[in-house]
Amino acid sequence: MTASISLSGVGRTFGATRALADVDLDLEPGVIGLLGPNGAGKTTLLRLLATALPPSQGTVRVLGRDPQVPAERTEIRRRLGYLPQEVGFPRGFTAFAFVDYIALLKEWPQPDARHAEVRRVLDQVGLADVATKRIRAMSGGQRRRVVLAQALLGSPPVLILDEPTTGVDPEQRVTLRTVLAEIARTSIVVLSTHQTEDVAALCERVIVLDRGRVRYDGQVTELVRQAAGRVWLADQPDPTARVSWRTGTGRYRNVAAHARDGVEHVEPSLEDAYLLLRGDLPHGKPAEEVAS
Amino acid sequence: MTGWHVDDETLRHYVERTDSVAEGASVERHLLNCAQCRARVNTAATAVDLAVVDLAAVWDGTRDAVEVPRPSVFERLLRALGLPAHEAQLVAVASAFRGVWLVGVAAVLAFAAGAAVIGHARGLWFFLAVAPLAPCLVVAFSYDRRWDPALEPETVTPYPTLRLILLRTVAVLAVALPAVLLLGLVVPGAAPFAWLLPAVGFVALVLAASTWASPLNAAIAVSAAWLMTVWLLAARAASPSAVLQPWTQVAFLVLAAASFGTFLVRRRHVRQLRPWR
Amino acid sequence: MEGPPSDETLLVGVAERDMGAFRALYERHAGWLALRLARRCNDRDLVADAVQDTFVAVWQKPRGFRGDGDIAAWLWGIAIRRLVSRLRQRTDVAVVFESTGIMPAVEDQVLLSVEYGDIGAALVRLSPEMRAVIQAVVLDGLSAKEAAQLLHVPVNTVKTRLYRAKAQLRTTLAEGLA
Repeated sequence: MTASISLSGVGRTFGATRALADVDLDLEPGVIGLLGPNGAGKTTLLRLLATALPPSQGTVRVLGRDPQVPAERTEIRRRLGYLPQEVGFPRGFTAFAFVDYIALLKEWPQPDARHAEVRRVLDQVGLADVATKRIRAMSGGQRRRVVLAQALLGSPPVLILDEPTTGVDPEQRVTLRTVLAEIARTSIVVLSTHQTEDVAALCERVIVLDRGRVRYDGQVTELVRQAAGRVWLADQPDPTARVSWRTGTGRYRNVAAHARDGVEHVEPSLEDAYLLLRGDLPHGKPAEEVAS
Repeated sequence: MTGWHVDDETLRHYVERTDSVAEGASVERHLLNCAQCRARVNTAATAVDLAVVDLAAVWDGTRDAVEVPRPSVFERLLRALGLPAHEAQLVAVASAFRGVWLVGVAAVLAFAAGAAVIGHARGLWFFLAVAPLAPCLVVAFSYDRRWDPALEPETVTPYPTLRLILLRTVAVLAVALPAVLLLGLVVPGAAPFAWLLPAVGFVALVLAASTWASPLNAAIAVSAAWLMTVWLLAARAASPSAVLQPWTQVAFLVLAAASFGTFLVRRRHVRQLRPWR
Repeated sequence: MEGPPSDETLLVGVAERDMGAFRALYERHAGWLALRLARRCNDRDLVADAVQDTFVAVWQKPRGFRGDGDIAAWLWGIAIRRLVSRLRQRTDVAVVFESTGIMPAVEDQVLLSVEYGDIGAALVRLSPEMRAVIQAVVLDGLSAKEAAQLLHVPVNTVKTRLYRAKAQLRTTLAEGLA
């Protein structure tokens, strides 16, 4: 069993809309960040990886297995944890009850072992003390953590997380980062997020999606390097810059397509590099190609 | 609170139970008011290694009693019927089986039976219309995504979704059919078990239809069709029991078998499984 | 710097379903409660069950505490009643009030009288049965009916012994004053 995920020529269409096209990826253990605007296809890609959807074209192999084959799909699911973007909760469920229910579906029939595992994952996400609280009475960040907890059941070798840090307060994000960093030593963690800081803090590798296609796939440090010499501070927003915004200190941070001389350069952040990359991409209406 | 605390020796006597009655009474009275001495008693008890009670084990038991969800009545019933504990829990968790719904369905059935007893012919038609529909409606609720919030995490677990659907259906039948039967006994004018085959037939029909549409939509369509049929028959025929002739029973049996067969053949198309056609 | 949370704060936490607060409450009180219960019942398992029942009851109704008096007294009230409830089902378990200690020394008697007046000494002079009743009703706060269940005697016996014990105590104390 290989500890990897590979996609080859993968595409996914919904009716007339092409959500993903020509995706070729090879993922190894570690934390891989998925960046992209809304509608870029992040959620679709994650669903594909999580065996919630089949591809319309191309092949997917998770841990060496083909999700199109039912028996192999079940084997993948035994080794996979998935945090979807939106989850509904049955009424009256406590955090413990919910995670316990998913644990049942993940084949933990023995109550003692199952309860111990439920407590372990709730503790991992910092919810041990509120295990008996009703989910509907919890804050958004707490609910997100409950769903993360169920994804962590069994310490799966593949962890697919769709916006795990949304609504989670800064303290808890630090805890999450620690948890994920620990897991990523032996598992493949693919997470999508809008926050470049999360990718910068957590991921060695980043994949940028735009309109269903992979626009960048490589090391975070490499992407950041692309913005070297192109980021500077000034007292006024520079009209020749690609993007310009006011920072907390009152000065303006400017990002330009080409290196600039004679300005107060600063270290580029991942956010700068990402903005540059987005700016380099073709503009216009999203392509609506009919499925061939 | 006074500044007086129990001295070490008396405390030790208390913990070791070598104190006198008076000392003991005094210490106990004091402990009710003094957190400091209570803490000292706790420490002394562990130090002297007088495991009066395994406090860690009691904590585990307490925590379980408080954290672990209690099985519902329906779950306990399923366990009594022979289903393994973890599968009973999986089935019973569907909101269709939790308290309110079951009570609602039971109330409707009881009302229908009451109507049949009191109103005779009219009531009988009403019972005929409602009773066979109850099980298929409960089945539809038990796995329709609108009533059981879309648990996307649920769909990527190794547990076979099809098995879950079938288990829930069988659970409904195991409880609903005897209920319909019992109520049928109360209703005058027809053989009690005559209501069973229609009920089973409709459940199978909903299962089959759920390979094209959502379970709830299927159940509503079936219900509407049946109510329409009953209404038309009531407008023309004299007695409802005329409907429950042997040939109609056979027809329902055929319907049940054909529907279930269709369901099995097209099982991959069930709404939740649809992505993997 | 904040000190450790008060029992009341912990109880509020329990009402809000905070397991951390619940555990802290347990760690503060389970020990002395178990010890005190074990002095009334020599069956370890029953005592363990009673302690568990007590804390589960606290979890289920944390607002049962009306704020009058110490939480410890409220907890003891729950604990002893849970023990009585468990004992009701068992007739083979003894309730022991005997102690193996000696009469307290004079200095101790003086100290005790600070807490209890001369009752301490007077108690010792009662017969074991009467002492058991006084302990259950007066010291542990049980009703006559509950004491009867605890001691496995009829309610009327409890009442009679209580009456006689109080009379004897009054006499002893009056003698002491004279």
